[in-house]
Amino acid sequence: MSYYKITMAAALAVLTSSFLIAGGGAIADSTKADKVDYTAMSSEQLAEYLIFDAKGFKLDDKTQEGKTVRDRLTQDGIQKACSALRGGSVDGATAGKVIAMAREAMTHPEGGIKLGDWKKGDTVARSGYGFRVGHKVDDHSGREPGGNCYACHELDPNEIAFGTLGPSLKGYGKLRGTNEIILKYTYEVIYNPHTYFPCTQMPRFGYHGTLTQEQISDVMAYLLDPDSPVNQ
Amino acid sequence: MSKKTSFVLSALLAFGASVSADSYQAPEDVLNGLISEVDSAYLTQSEQNIMMMPDNPAYWVAEEGESLFKAKRGPNKASLESCDFGNGPGVLEGAYVEMPRHFADSGKVMDLESRLVYCMETIQGFSSDDPAVKKRHGSGSDMMKLQTYIASQSSGYEWNPPMDHPLEKAMRDAGEVLFYRRAGTMDFSCRSCHGAAGKRIRASVLPNINVPQEWTKAVSWPAFRVGHDNVRSSQHRVRGCYWQMRQGQIIPGSDASIALISFWTDAARGQPAILPDMKR
Repeated sequence: MSYYKITMAAALAVLTSSFLIAGGGAIADSTKADKVDYTAMSSEQLAEYLIFDAKGFKLDDKTQEGKTVRDRLTQDGIQKACSALRGGSVDGATAGKVIAMAREAMTHPEGGIKLGDWKKGDTVARSGYGFRVGHKVDDHSGREPGGNCYACHELDPNEIAFGTLGPSLKGYGKLRGTNEIILKYTYEVIYNPHTYFPCTQMPRFGYHGTLTQEQISDVMAYLLDPDSPVNQ
Repeated sequence: MSKKTSFVLSALLAFGASVSADSYQAPEDVLNGLISEVDSAYLTQSEQNIMMMPDNPAYWVAEEGESLFKAKRGPNKASLESCDFGNGPGVLEGAYVEMPRHFADSGKVMDLESRLVYCMETIQGFSSDDPAVKKRHGSGSDMMKLQTYIASQSSGYEWNPPMDHPLEKAMRDAGEVLFYRRAGTMDFSCRSCHGAAGKRIRASVLPNINVPQEWTKAVSWPAFRVGHDNVRSSQHRVRGCYWQMRQGQIIPGSDASIALISFWTDAARGQPAILPDMKR
């Protein structure tokens, strides 16, 4: 699969990536904001400074998962490693590191991976609602968040408004069947796609908890159930 | 119709009708020129919008902006004609395509919106709480009227943000980091949607930052957003993208927002601006 291959100018790929020192404490004193010399920082340090110290965002806004925008903007290991590529193709060292981080954080549902209800999965696949914060805030108490699969993937061949950032998943189950290996693979790609596609653009729906285990099983049914429109 | 025609006419008279790299060109002519250069699903995705461009509702917004610009307003009863947008007080032709830029008076790199706020506060004496300054969005806001008027006088001019001052370079480079910086519950960065050619979100074709002819249209704000029925700004686009990326609310006029706009403008360098544009 060419899922993580990038059509990016090669020139950008060779830009230095000193991201490891970004966010260092040296420039974190916000009380001296007006005396800070932007030109003395690396671009990575300055970017962190502009977000967290120079009032770039409403950092204390609450999020649906009970944290804050500050937490949303704080990068984890996979986000840091993949950002450093600046759109270039993933190199072997980064890929290995990212896959290792993904595997370490993988969890599987108790009682094994099972297919849920493809009709519910259809709803999850279509809905882009959820987890937005800022000038408008998604209210999860009034409406369940979705997975927004159609934003990037073709699924039901009767749905023509599908995105193309990800590969087509039309006939996903018909092509692959539903044995244990396919179930595990499909679950792990939805939970954390970096397990197989390091630095993919696809979100980690299980890792971040943006889809519940039940929703993941419903989406899996939408992909794999022979009765699902995806497989007609 | 006559209002729009008079605006276009006065624009043509003011800037000369000759076609060269740095002279006024009607936005639909700029776009059609780009379409003849590259095969782009993004540039050609809405034939209807291209047809409507000569009647872009943004022209009326710009016309109201011209009146506001020249009117003596605010506690100081001053017009904005003494505001320097980079090429001297009151000089607007080609000024917007050279922003964001560093201004010695403020000591900061400023985009069009933050520069306007600065002049409205320092020259006209508006307080930061005054609706004239505080209300940033919507065709009815002073901000959008003024931005649309000022920016429209750079249509056809090539993007050329200066990189002479060390702060201009520092902000542009930090903006590049921000553009590729993945975070949040969706792991997105700007690049997630704007790093490949001909890709779609649902039915909408996305602009690719690596194709300059696409990218100049992407960054050509103000634009009339047909789906919003309003003229929108660069800052509105930045806010919307971070909201969709689930990364919270970026603060308008913050250095983070200006750094990002510096990078995206630099990425369109050398391409003619489409102002005002009409987008989906």
